[in-house]
Amino acid sequence: MKAFLGRFRQEAVLLVLLAAFVAVAWRLDPTFLTPKVQGTLVKLVLELAVIALPVTLIVITGGIDLSVGASMSLAAVAFGLAAERGTPWPLAAVCALVAGALAGMLNGWIVSRARIHPLIVTLATMSAYFGLAEGISRARPISGFDPAFQSLVAGPLMFFVLALAAAGAALWLSRTVKGQAVFAIGLNEKAARFSAIDVDKIKFWLYTLAGTAAAVAAVSYAARRNTVKADIGHGMELDVVTAIVLGGTSITGGRGTIGGSLLGILIVHEVRQFVSWHWERDEINLIVIGGLLILALVANSAFGKKTDSA
Amino acid sequence: MAALTPGSTGLRRALVPLGYPCPVPSDLLLEVQGLSKAYDGVHALEGVGLQIRPGEVHGLVGENGAGKSTLIKILAGNVVPDSGSVGMAGAGLNLGSVQASLDAGISVIYQELVAFLDLDAVENVFVGREIRRFGIILDRARMRERTSQVFQRLGVGVPLNVPLCDLSVAQRQLVAIARALETECRLLVMDEPTASLSNREVEVLLATVERLKTEGVSVLYVSHRLDEIVRICDSVTVLRDGRVVETMPASSVTRERLIVSMVGRQIAAQSQSAANAPGTVVLEVRGLGRDGAFEDVSFSVRAGEIVGLGGLVGAGRTEVARAIFGLDRIDSGQVLVGGRDVTNRGVLAAVASGVALVPEDRQHEGLVLPLSVKDNLLMAARERLARRGWIQRRAERTKGDELSTRLMVKAASLDVPVRSLSGGNQQKVVIGKWLAMAPRALIMDEPTRGVDVGAKEEVHSLVTRLAAEGAAVLLVSSDLPELLELSDRILVMCEGRVSGELARGEASEEALMALAVHREERAVS
Amino acid sequence: MKKLPARELGVGLVLFVLVLAVQLANPAFLRPENVRDLLIQCAPFAIMACGMTFVIILGEIDISVGSMAGLLAAALGTWASPSHGGRPLLDCVFGVLFLGLALGLVNGLLVVFARVPSIVATLGMLTVLRGVTELVLHGEWVTDLPPFIRQLGIGVSGGVPNPVLVALLVVAVSITLASLTPWGRRVYAIGSNPEAAKVRGLPVKQVKLAAFALMGLLTGVAVLVSAPQLSVVESGYGTGWELFVVTCVVVGGVSITGGRGSLWGVLLGVALLSIIRTALIFLRLGDQASYWERAIQGVLILTAVLGDRVSARRRAEVGA
Repeated sequence: MKAFLGRFRQEAVLLVLLAAFVAVAWRLDPTFLTPKVQGTLVKLVLELAVIALPVTLIVITGGIDLSVGASMSLAAVAFGLAAERGTPWPLAAVCALVAGALAGMLNGWIVSRARIHPLIVTLATMSAYFGLAEGISRARPISGFDPAFQSLVAGPLMFFVLALAAAGAALWLSRTVKGQAVFAIGLNEKAARFSAIDVDKIKFWLYTLAGTAAAVAAVSYAARRNTVKADIGHGMELDVVTAIVLGGTSITGGRGTIGGSLLGILIVHEVRQFVSWHWERDEINLIVIGGLLILALVANSAFGKKTDSA
Repeated sequence: MAALTPGSTGLRRALVPLGYPCPVPSDLLLEVQGLSKAYDGVHALEGVGLQIRPGEVHGLVGENGAGKSTLIKILAGNVVPDSGSVGMAGAGLNLGSVQASLDAGISVIYQELVAFLDLDAVENVFVGREIRRFGIILDRARMRERTSQVFQRLGVGVPLNVPLCDLSVAQRQLVAIARALETECRLLVMDEPTASLSNREVEVLLATVERLKTEGVSVLYVSHRLDEIVRICDSVTVLRDGRVVETMPASSVTRERLIVSMVGRQIAAQSQSAANAPGTVVLEVRGLGRDGAFEDVSFSVRAGEIVGLGGLVGAGRTEVARAIFGLDRIDSGQVLVGGRDVTNRGVLAAVASGVALVPEDRQHEGLVLPLSVKDNLLMAARERLARRGWIQRRAERTKGDELSTRLMVKAASLDVPVRSLSGGNQQKVVIGKWLAMAPRALIMDEPTRGVDVGAKEEVHSLVTRLAAEGAAVLLVSSDLPELLELSDRILVMCEGRVSGELARGEASEEALMALAVHREERAVS
Repeated sequence: MKKLPARELGVGLVLFVLVLAVQLANPAFLRPENVRDLLIQCAPFAIMACGMTFVIILGEIDISVGSMAGLLAAALGTWASPSHGGRPLLDCVFGVLFLGLALGLVNGLLVVFARVPSIVATLGMLTVLRGVTELVLHGEWVTDLPPFIRQLGIGVSGGVPNPVLVALLVVAVSITLASLTPWGRRVYAIGSNPEAAKVRGLPVKQVKLAAFALMGLLTGVAVLVSAPQLSVVESGYGTGWELFVVTCVVVGGVSITGGRGSLWGVLLGVALLSIIRTALIFLRLGDQASYWERAIQGVLILTAVLGDRVSARRRAEVGA
């Protein structure tokens, strides 16, 4: 019950933040709040959000996945190359999903078997997957996909997928045995192992899930933009981690919510789009996102200390 | 003789009994008076006094939990006592400051060595107070020379340029001693220095202590190995239940007298009159071995039986418990639960076959402190209450209520974090976690350590009841009365092996201690 | 300390075999001018790897150095170019060094005082600094670096190219720092056993802060000798350097969990990684080379970390 209160408080704070930002944005530039602009923004946010769901779970276990952007690139390239060779799009999408899942599995396997810090593992696989994506595609753009694919996937389908996945993830986290185990792992992995929780298995599947989600995002991207390239996932991991930390998930594990992450994504995205919209300067975005991440981390560690002493 | 205290300290002295500068007779190096310390209302030390002369080797003995380590930590400045004073070389010691203790010349060598394994001996001796040339460059030659001088003084040879991880434990111990001597220590406190040493290494260490003595360094020698105490100490202080039982001169010290003095108390009336009628064998261990931890351990526990596992800290009992539970790899032998082989199959398989472990370290291994009482109670059993992995809230609440009532957990509600509970109640939650699974074999590692008296009784009756209900209980405990009271029979471990078995009738604290102490000692006595 | 150079020997052996193989495949590889180019190329990485070694031995990491290098290069370009700042040589040099030091300090403060895990703190800095770089350059290139600045990168002193000379100097100082000063040994001590370091009263915070500051300073030094090698400065300068430097250090045998490793090994790591880079070109893989380079880097770092893990386990068993 107390966890519930805490959860809603976090989300309330984020909503207030979002509202405050929107108000300021509206004062500065009323055109930013037109439905048309906001509509396109929401579409962009879907891919980020899909990836953020499993990564939130990973961060709650005390882990991190920096390779999701690279996995997305890899999956996108797999999709592109398959489509280029005339594979029907559903099959090409399956190729992408398999590529993403495999990428995630490798992470999960190394993290849970060799017990190396996930940060190092995924930093290395990030490089490996980006390199692989560049290597097999020779870093060229691949475009021109089936129009049917574009209209289907880029339409509302992705929105439903996200809504379903988010609801599923939130329910899983709060209502299932394994979901609750995720918190226990993040708070005290040793005690979790002593309580016969299959820590390794849960971790393995969460990382696999993250790779798969990155592939879903890749397919969505391909449909929306009608082109893929090995660098499309570049910087994705940073946006995702920033949003998650902003959403109140503790970077050291044990605390976090799906709703918080989604709101975090929304805030990160609104801010960054407003910056590009208003100042038409992309470089400021990097500063804003990185700055937000650092601020969120500092706030997070200060907040964490407070709850520890309480 | 009494140290002149600055005005501010004088005021403090009037208000606070801590750091109270007491007059120390000139022939004493260390004088401890009326030291008391309680944790959560349980007295670890109560009015302890201790006197050590310069150049004296003073033995400190007592059962596990008698208060030895608390006393050591207070001397080192790591723990602040509730009351009492420590005088060092005629001056009051500022209690609770590591630096003050070091400055006063007290060096402590802990049982778990605090060493930098990637650095070599010279660096370990000097890191933090390096000798420099021109202010910035290390004067390695001089540090090396001084280190080798110390080793020469000790009459031992330790390689100076090899990282500590490549040295033996004994050599690391010598490095720690060298470090202490380099800080011009006048009182060296050694906590179980020979616990992990081979016989020959023990000889080197004892010779070192002898040599220190001739140089006027005092040693407070804390050890379970009574023969060592008898051999090198000038006087011995015995602690029991946080109090000093007696301090005796070396001339009157014998092994037997020490044991009697350590155990001392009336042996508790055995509450459980008759052993349960033993059922079928539930847990069986055959020739179990794990390299460097234990070897050739065999025993079986029947349904309804409580088998005690006694021995000193470090004898390998916890390691055996962990291995049975599937946490550590087993190198040889077999673990059978209800006739099924679960050797090296992991925790999940062990639990599935009905084994449960109440671990030694309650706070780190037993509980997830920030989570609620209910979440902790149901952590292992959740899967069974759930429907296809989905949590059934009502079923969980009922089960949680049932468990907490049965265990008499005192908590404001099941939703408060388990962290807010007292030690005894936390322990009940750890046990409750497994009760929810109705375990066939329950392994309990120090189930009442740090638990207050009332809760201790409750845990004891719980264990008996569980056995009566048909569980096979393996009880690891350093608390001798507890072991004697609860166990149907007791296996005693010493240095990784089972050194003997005592049936209920023949078990006594003396008999247990005799089996638990060092094997060579037994051979001698 | 240097008793067990097994890891260094291993890296050295791989290096030797690689050089031999490439030489056999393409005899042009070991020509003096090529070796010279190779040395100039790896000089800035050797400089940064020295700083990174201290940070990683402490059990921390700094992945902001790529963007930091970018910003410092941009600063150097705008200060020096006549069309922008037109500052004299010393202003530029000290400006870059000071800025590097300050940025390193910011990282250190975040890690030590705000207690943010270094990997995420510096990840944030990686992004922020890249943004600032782009902001400074407005997406333009600085093309008019004055000759006195270019000399830093392409000049020769006493027959040795400036970057190589500076790198040698930095390496010598770093090795001295690591093995001959109290600070260096404390770095090892803290990384080896942080708990014991606290018990012994070592100044953990100050040492960490200094290591991050040193990392920043050395990034400045690296930029001073590398950016002027090119005639232009653009905003993408230094992208991906962080991973390259970390890879060099880890492949060179420094334990990612801290406490162990030597600068000698790291130098071998720098050499190995740099040669792999060039070798891909010399083996006539053509444009393929640049695509696969990242993948190879990633695989190398994984292998190194996995190897480290295995040896750590063996070591733990010996210790127990």
